[in-house]
Amino acid sequence: MGETSSVENEFDDWFIESLKIYNHIHEYQLEHPTRAIEWTSEKTICVAGYNSDKNEILELLLPLKLFADDNQGLCAERDFKVVHGGFSDGSIHCLKHIPGTRCVVTNDGFNSNLQVWDLGGDDCDVIKRTGVLQLKSASSDNGVKIAPGLTGGPCVLHGSQISDIQLTELTSGKPLYSLGKDIPDLLSSLQFVSGSVFLACACNGDLYVGDTRKPSAPQNNPAGGREGAHWCMGVKTDLSSSDPSSCSVARLSSACQVVVSDLRDLRAPLCQAQLHVQRKTTSDDFMKVTWAPALDNCLAVSGFDGMVQIYDTASWRPELMEFQPFFIHRGHMMSDDQFDTSLAVVTTHVWHPSRPRTVLSAAVDGSVHVWDWVDKATASC
Amino acid sequence: MPEIKVTPLGAGQDVGRSCILVSIGGKNIMLDCGMHMGFNDDRRFPDFSYITQQGRLTEFLDCVIISHFHLDHCGALPYMSEMVGYDGPIYMTHPTKAICPILLEDFRKITVDKKGETNFFTSQMIKDCMKKVVPLNLHQTVQVDDELEIKAYYAGHVLGAAMVQIKVGSESVVYTGDYNMTPDRHLGAAWIDKCRPDILISESTYATTIRDSKRCRERDFLKKVHETVERGGKVLIPVFALGRAQELCILLETFWERMNMKAPIYFSTGLTEKANHYYKLFITWTNQKIRKTFVQRNMFEFKHIKAFDRSYADNPGPMVVFATPGMLHAGQSLQIFKKWAGNEKNMIIMPGYCVQGTIGHKILNGQKKLEMENRQTLEVKLQVEYMSFSAHADAKGIMQLIRMAEPRNMLLVHGEAKKMEFLKDKIEQEFTINCFMPANGETTTVITNPSVPVDISLNLLKREMALGGPLPDPKKPRTMHGTLIMKDNSLRLVSPEQALKELGLNEHQLRFTCRVQLQDPHSDPDTLSRIYTHLKSVLKGYTIQHLPDGTVMVESIVIKVSSSAEEPNTKVLLLSWSYQDEDLGSFLSTLLKKGLPSGLSSI
Repeated sequence: MGETSSVENEFDDWFIESLKIYNHIHEYQLEHPTRAIEWTSEKTICVAGYNSDKNEILELLLPLKLFADDNQGLCAERDFKVVHGGFSDGSIHCLKHIPGTRCVVTNDGFNSNLQVWDLGGDDCDVIKRTGVLQLKSASSDNGVKIAPGLTGGPCVLHGSQISDIQLTELTSGKPLYSLGKDIPDLLSSLQFVSGSVFLACACNGDLYVGDTRKPSAPQNNPAGGREGAHWCMGVKTDLSSSDPSSCSVARLSSACQVVVSDLRDLRAPLCQAQLHVQRKTTSDDFMKVTWAPALDNCLAVSGFDGMVQIYDTASWRPELMEFQPFFIHRGHMMSDDQFDTSLAVVTTHVWHPSRPRTVLSAAVDGSVHVWDWVDKATASC
Repeated sequence: MPEIKVTPLGAGQDVGRSCILVSIGGKNIMLDCGMHMGFNDDRRFPDFSYITQQGRLTEFLDCVIISHFHLDHCGALPYMSEMVGYDGPIYMTHPTKAICPILLEDFRKITVDKKGETNFFTSQMIKDCMKKVVPLNLHQTVQVDDELEIKAYYAGHVLGAAMVQIKVGSESVVYTGDYNMTPDRHLGAAWIDKCRPDILISESTYATTIRDSKRCRERDFLKKVHETVERGGKVLIPVFALGRAQELCILLETFWERMNMKAPIYFSTGLTEKANHYYKLFITWTNQKIRKTFVQRNMFEFKHIKAFDRSYADNPGPMVVFATPGMLHAGQSLQIFKKWAGNEKNMIIMPGYCVQGTIGHKILNGQKKLEMENRQTLEVKLQVEYMSFSAHADAKGIMQLIRMAEPRNMLLVHGEAKKMEFLKDKIEQEFTINCFMPANGETTTVITNPSVPVDISLNLLKREMALGGPLPDPKKPRTMHGTLIMKDNSLRLVSPEQALKELGLNEHQLRFTCRVQLQDPHSDPDTLSRIYTHLKSVLKGYTIQHLPDGTVMVESIVIKVSSSAEEPNTKVLLLSWSYQDEDLGSFLSTLLKKGLPSGLSSI
C-alpha cells in the first residue's frame, strides 16, 4: 500500500463517493477539447474543437443506456456514437443549432463572419459547410456572439458589440433587424426570450432588452457589483407563458457573484449571492451560468476551475451573502491519465432539456462527462 | 502491377462474423474464421464458395490465422477445416490454442444438445481441427514457407489476442483482429512497431464510437453490487474461467474495504483450478501488475474472496458469487441461478455476450418466465443487469494504432461506407494514405510499390555524377541508364560496357538506312545545301554540319544526295543512322519526305 500516492487516494475517495452521489455518470475522452456542447435533437449533441487551425465538428448520439429508463439494466450500451463529422479550417468558439433545421452556425472567436453548416441526414455522415455570412461589425477581433431565432424561418441574431446587434435571415443573408444604437460595449451573451424579444448582456454587466419588431432605444439595466468585472448571463424562459416573471435572468461575474432578476424589473435584483468558488484560472473565457430547464430555482456555474457547481437560488436573498453549492461535479479534476489535474478547467456545460438532474460538461483536457446526481429530497431542486 | 487483394467474406451489411481473405505475393491467407451468432442456419458460417465452388480448401490456402478465442472469430473453424476440408496449418497464439477448443465444445453442446441442431461440427471434429494448429509466440517470426512469414503482436482485448503481420518479400499486411489501446486491470494495451505495412486491416465496428471510460463501467458494477448487498440481496456473476473474472475480482478486492462491505465474496472452485492453471501457462500475456501479484501468491488468493461451497447458496443474507459457466447454460452458475431467481432483492450481472439458446440469452432479452428441463417454470424476479466490459478500440484508438504502425494504406471491414465517410476523410487527411472500406464479399485491390534494393557499380555512379546538373533530390528522382544483372540472389546495376565484358559478349552496332525520294530542280550539291539550310532552321539545338565530303550530318546521322542521269530532278536522299539515334532518324526521314519548302536559298 506504500506505493499509492496521495493523488491516487484522492481519486479513490472520489470514486467511492461517486457511488452514492451520482445516479449515473459517463466519461468520454475526445481527441481535442471542445468549448461548445449544443443540443441538435433530444438525443444528439454537437461539439467542436478550438485549435488555432484545423478542427473537427462532431455530432454525437448519446448512449442508449441513458434513455432506456425501465429496461436500463438490460441495455449495456454506454458509448457515444459519432453520427456525423466534418472539418473546420478555423477555431470554433461558438456553435448554435438553428431549431427546426439540420443547420448549425459557428464563429471562431476572432473574426466577424459566421460559418453555416449542414449536419447531414441519414445518407451521409459528413458535416458540410454550406456558406459564410460576412458581417460588418465594429470590432473584429473579439468574435461574434450568436443566438438562434426561436420562431419563424431560420434566422440568427448576432453581434460583437451592443451597437452591431443584428438579426439576419439565414438562407438569403438579408438583415431583418438592427439595434442601431451607438453603444460600443462588448457583448458577452445574447439570447431570445420569445419570438421577437431578446436579451443582450454586455461584458460590463449591463443588460439590454430589445424587440426585433420595433427598433427603439433599449433600456440599460446595470448589474451593479464590482467595477472592472466581466459578466455573462443565463436565461430561463417559458415560451408557453407571456408572464414576465417566468423569464429569469442570472448574471455571473468574474468576481464569482450572481445576480438574479426577471423580466418584470431587470434593474432590481430579486436575489444575489457570492459563490463559494476559488478561482483557478485567470481567463474569463469559459465562464458560464445556466438555469436547469426541468427544475425550479436551480443554477449551474462553471468556468473558474475544474468543477461544475449546482446552486439552489430559493434560499438566496436580495442582499449579497455567500452561499454554498448543494452539489459539485469534480469528475474533470479526477483524471487517471498523465494530465495534470491542477490545470483542469471546465470549458462549458449544458443541461439535458427534459431529464431533471442530467448535465453534460466538457473540460480543457478533452473530457466530456454526462452525469446526473442523486436527489436528496431536502433540496427544492 | 504488384498488388494485394483483400476480401471480407460475408454478405451485405452484416457484422458479427470475421473471415477475411488476403492474396499477397502469390499466397492466399485466411484471417479468422468466425461464426455469426445471429443466424441459425448456414448463414452463420462464412461463404467459402468465394475460394472454391466445391471441394476442399487446402490447395487454395497457404495458411489460416486466428486472432483470438471469441466465437465470432473462431466459431466456424472446425466447420471449415473438417466439414468443408482444410489440412494446411492453422496459426494462433498459445492461449488461444488452449482456450478455443473449450469454447467451441461449449458452443457445440449448446447448439446441438440444447437446440437439437444437426449439420454442426462434432466433438471429434474440434479435436481433429486443433491438431492442425501451430502455436505462435509474440514477436517471433514464423516461416510458413520459403516466402511467407508471419509475426504476432500483443493486441490486449482478451487473453491471447494477437494482431498479425503477414509478409511476402517486401510486401506486408497487418491484421488487427480485435484490440484496445487502453490497458485494463488484467491486460495491457495493444502494441506494434513502425512496421509500415502496405495495408493495415481493422474492424470498423467501434470506429465511429467514443467509448465510455473503464472507470465508469467499473463504478456502475460496484454500485449495483453495493446496492444489492445493502438491501440484503445476493449477487450472481456468471463468468468464463478467465479474463473478466480476474478483472472483476481485482476490482471488488480493491474497493471492498473502502466501501466498508461486510458481505462475503465467493468464487466457485472450478473457476480457481482452471484459472490458475491457465494463468501459470500464460503469465506473459497479462499486464505487469498481475504478473507481480502472481509471482507473490496464488492468482485467486484474495483477502476478501473465498472459495465457494455448494451449500453456501442456501445461506441467508447477502453475498456475491462468481461461478461458471458464463452463459448460464449448465453447471454451477445455473444451479445457483435457479435458487436465487425468485427473489427480487437478488441480482444477476452478465458481463458478456450470451449465445442464443442459453438461459443467459433469454434473460438478457427480458424473459421473465423460463421453462426448465423438468418442465417446471422458473419465474425470474431478480434484477438482471447486462454490463459490457469488453475492451475495444474506438475512433481515437484506430488513429493511435495507425500512428504506431504507419501503414501505406488503411482498410476497414464490417462497416457501412456511407456511414463512415467522415472517418475515411479523417484518416486520409491526417496520414495522407488511402482508406478503403469494402463491403462484405467485395474485393479491394491495393497496388503496392515495393522497393527493390539494387547494388550500383561505382563506375556507373561516377559517370552519372560527372553528367553534372543538380544533385538528385528524393522528391525529384532522376532517370539514369544502366544494365541490371540478376544473378543468384543479387541485383546489380552496371554500365553496358561492363555488363558486356562480364557476360563475355561483343557489342554490336545497328545502323539503319533509308532512302527518301525528293523532286528538286537543283544540282545535287545545291540540293544538299538546301537540305542543310532547312534542317538548321527546323532542328534548332541540334548539331548540324555541312561537311566538305558532300554529306550533311545531324548529330551522328549521315545524309547524302544522289540522282540518276536520266532523271536529274529526282533526288534520292540516303539517310543512315545508328540505333542510338533511332528517334531522330525516323523524325528526319518523315520530315524530308514532306519535301523542301520553296523559299529556301541554296547557300
